[in-house]
Amino acid sequence: MSETVFAQQWLGKATSSRARFLGYLTAVAVIVTLPLVFNDTYWRTNLTVCAINVLLAIGLDFILGYAGQLNLGHSAFYGLGAYVSTLLIVKLAVPFWLAFVAGVAFAGLAGTFLSLFAVRLRGHYLAIASLGFAVIVHQILLNWISLTQGPLGIYGIAPPPALVVDGTVIADFRNLTAFFYLVAGFALLSFLLLSQLVRSPVGETLTAIREDEVSAASLGINAAAWKVFAFGVGSAIAGAAGCFYASFVGTLVPDAFFITEAFNILAMVIVGGMGTLIGPVFGAVLLTILPEVLRGLGDLRLVVYGAALTFVVLFIPGGMAQAANAVGERLWRRRSA
Amino acid sequence: MSATADGAAGEPLLRTQELQKNFGGVKAVSEISFDVPMGAIFAVIGPNGAGKSTLINLISGVYRPDAGSLSFDGVDLSTMPAHLRVRFGIARTFQKIRLFRQLTALDNVIAGFHVHHKIPAWQYLVHGAAFTADRRRCRDQAMQLLEFVGMSGRAHVPAGSLSYGEQRMLELARALATKPRLLLIDEPAAGLNAAEVDGLLDRIRSLRHGGTTVILVEHNMDLVMNVADRIMVMEYGRRLFEGTPAEVQKNPAVIAAYLGGELL
Amino acid sequence: MTTTIVLQQAINGIVLGSLYVLVALGLTLIYGVLVQINFAHADFVTLGAFAAYFFMHLVGLGYIPSIAVALIVGAAMGWLINASIFTPLRRKNNELLPLIATIGVSVMMQNLMLAWFGPIPYAFETEFSRHVIRFAGIFVSWQNVIIIVVSALTIALLYVFMKFTFLGKALRAVSQDRETAGLMGINPNFLIMLTFVIASALAGMGGAMLAPVLVLTPFAGTSVIVKAFAIVIIGGFGNVEGTILAGLIVGLIESYTTQFLNPGLIDIVVFALLLLMLAIRPTGLISERREENV
Ligand SMILES: Nc1ncnc2c1ncn2[C@@H]1O[C@H](COP(=O)(O)OP(=O)(O)OP(=O)(O)O)[C@@H](O)[C@H]1O
Ligand SMILES: [Mg+2]
Repeated sequence: MSETVFAQQWLGKATSSRARFLGYLTAVAVIVTLPLVFNDTYWRTNLTVCAINVLLAIGLDFILGYAGQLNLGHSAFYGLGAYVSTLLIVKLAVPFWLAFVAGVAFAGLAGTFLSLFAVRLRGHYLAIASLGFAVIVHQILLNWISLTQGPLGIYGIAPPPALVVDGTVIADFRNLTAFFYLVAGFALLSFLLLSQLVRSPVGETLTAIREDEVSAASLGINAAAWKVFAFGVGSAIAGAAGCFYASFVGTLVPDAFFITEAFNILAMVIVGGMGTLIGPVFGAVLLTILPEVLRGLGDLRLVVYGAALTFVVLFIPGGMAQAANAVGERLWRRRSA
Repeated sequence: MSATADGAAGEPLLRTQELQKNFGGVKAVSEISFDVPMGAIFAVIGPNGAGKSTLINLISGVYRPDAGSLSFDGVDLSTMPAHLRVRFGIARTFQKIRLFRQLTALDNVIAGFHVHHKIPAWQYLVHGAAFTADRRRCRDQAMQLLEFVGMSGRAHVPAGSLSYGEQRMLELARALATKPRLLLIDEPAAGLNAAEVDGLLDRIRSLRHGGTTVILVEHNMDLVMNVADRIMVMEYGRRLFEGTPAEVQKNPAVIAAYLGGELL
Repeated sequence: MTTTIVLQQAINGIVLGSLYVLVALGLTLIYGVLVQINFAHADFVTLGAFAAYFFMHLVGLGYIPSIAVALIVGAAMGWLINASIFTPLRRKNNELLPLIATIGVSVMMQNLMLAWFGPIPYAFETEFSRHVIRFAGIFVSWQNVIIIVVSALTIALLYVFMKFTFLGKALRAVSQDRETAGLMGINPNFLIMLTFVIASALAGMGGAMLAPVLVLTPFAGTSVIVKAFAIVIIGGFGNVEGTILAGLIVGLIESYTTQFLNPGLIDIVVFALLLLMLAIRPTGLISERREENV
């Protein structure tokens, strides 16, 4: 799959620090203006869903695209973050941000637990084990009725408390725009930190493990420990997405975290271009918006979605990142010719 | 040949005792004991399937021995995982090339610096001066290693797109990035042309000048006889003979089993 | 009384288990030859079930011919997915891409079926559902007798084919070592195609027989496939005997969990077993451990 190599180079290392700074500045500007442009409830809601999906996609990409661990159970960490934080808030009246931290930590620990298996499993075995983990989590959420209320779900989950400084309300998260800024800001920060990490020696280490574990060990890399690390980080980010999801939607049902959700996240990463961080961001946005745009097609919209996924894998396996790279390279060649 | 090779007193750098490894019914390595003195070039030869690569895998920690022991610089390594042995100074190349195919040649070598980074933990997230200095140092040293193996012009090519000979040399450079005291090279000349083999010979010699001890598995007898201080001959997992190149060439058992008429 | 219940559930478990075996065997065959997973296998099961349903209701030739129709539909799907997904992706030599491509196919198929057949479960009654044999307090419907007989026959046939025919031996040779198959003078591409056709035919006919047991909706296959994955791993990927054993075990677990615990716990028990298995014997029930040849 050498297509992705060039994508990784063009979009990753080759960019100078000034270009990156401009990139982040643009991202901030886009985040700030988006809710001003889309000023109806429907699209503002979708914007926040986009931001949540971006979190899910970059977390999975860290595990899958960088460390090469075939995780088909990302929905489990998403669900655990959502349920743990919500139950703490609803049942024990824990303050939101404390419950948030607990949800993130719990999801991260669950990922760590699962990856203790991953240490010994390769490829498809891990894929099925993680899928199985997601099935178990979904079934527990569904069947532990005294705790989760099962398929009936939990209703009336409050948004995060308003941000108040010196008695003046700075951000009231009942407001859709404020909520979007909160999640998008968190997603941008997560992206920034992950991007710093993958441009450090950790990036090479994880890629080395992805490419060849025996070789990596011959260079002193403790593959087991780094896989646990990647899983821990990626699943903690999914946990954060879950906390935001619960307080944003206000309702939790186990089916939101069925394994098909894991496939959706996977599709975002693949369509965007795994192994680049920026690709899955666009993948998440595209695959969140696409089904909304196709809503007019009714049942057929998911047919189109599935066909798009298959098409991308068959013809542009490096995803949008690869496509952007090809365009970029052509432009560059034309300029230098 | 060299003074360190034969007459060195005290502990050898590597000592194996009665090493054994079975695969199902196959005794790939059995009752292998030998010492490698500091600074020596120790060659292992033998017919296909003799157990040479298995021996390299035992020393580098890819396999655990079924019996016997292995000590490096006085430390018992028999059960130590492969990745920790690198920190003691053992590095290797692979007979079947195992590069990070999607990474560039340069990044392959940089990945070899894994155990030598000097970056405070927080600077992994907020890149500061120490981070930048470390990155630059690794890059420069990696370029030097690529130059050493004659590949400075190919630094930005993905490893998977390099020629076979280049891939072998890149594996060598990547192993050297770990700054080994003992370097294990498994058939480095396989698939190289005559000129490339000459270059390889020079490089192995200059590594020895730099103080690196080398265990060399090789079928190319010219190379082995020219560069090795001692040679161990293996057959069916066992040691057939061990001695200097001259002794090996004269030994009737070795000639019968392996060298055949080739060197007579 | 309790022994009757235990026996009754044993029969139910074996019925279910032998159907899981049919579905899981297909996955295992493909894995053995290609080291790939076809995620849409689940939807071949569903499609087989619908094919049988509509053939029975529209043509009215009875249940047994409709199983054959499902088998043919499955085989055709197997040929199609091999030609359209796995063959083009083979030279990329990547374990992830075909898996994801077939997830895409799966989403596509499920929603196409949803568009055509709707979300409301179909009641799949056959002429054999109502006829029940009573024996020492145990009830066995003719339907279940047919399931057990047909799947046992199919599995036995497959076994004979793999062990004693030249093609079967070639198939096993490819799954053990891809180079030797070429030496046997058979085009490996043909063998791979054949594997997909056989595997998917099993899924299709499994669907036709599962349909009366399951809630038949466009998503029915998913719950089956998830268990089939567990079975394939518990049995050891690519290991036929292990898969048969594991399939029957999972069928029994399912019927006993339903009887004595709570049907909601089935997946939890099965997958806890899977994770336990992976923790202690990652290579499956019957196979031996191997070290990677470096
Ligand atoms: N991982 C393994 N699993 C099973 N058998 C193995 C494994 N590794 C090596 N063997 C067997 O052990 C024996 C020794 O193999 P080894 O690779 O060490 O030989 P070698 O001397 O390096 O040969 P060559 O010159 O061909 O590289 C052979 O019979 C080989 O088939
Ligand atoms: Mg060898």
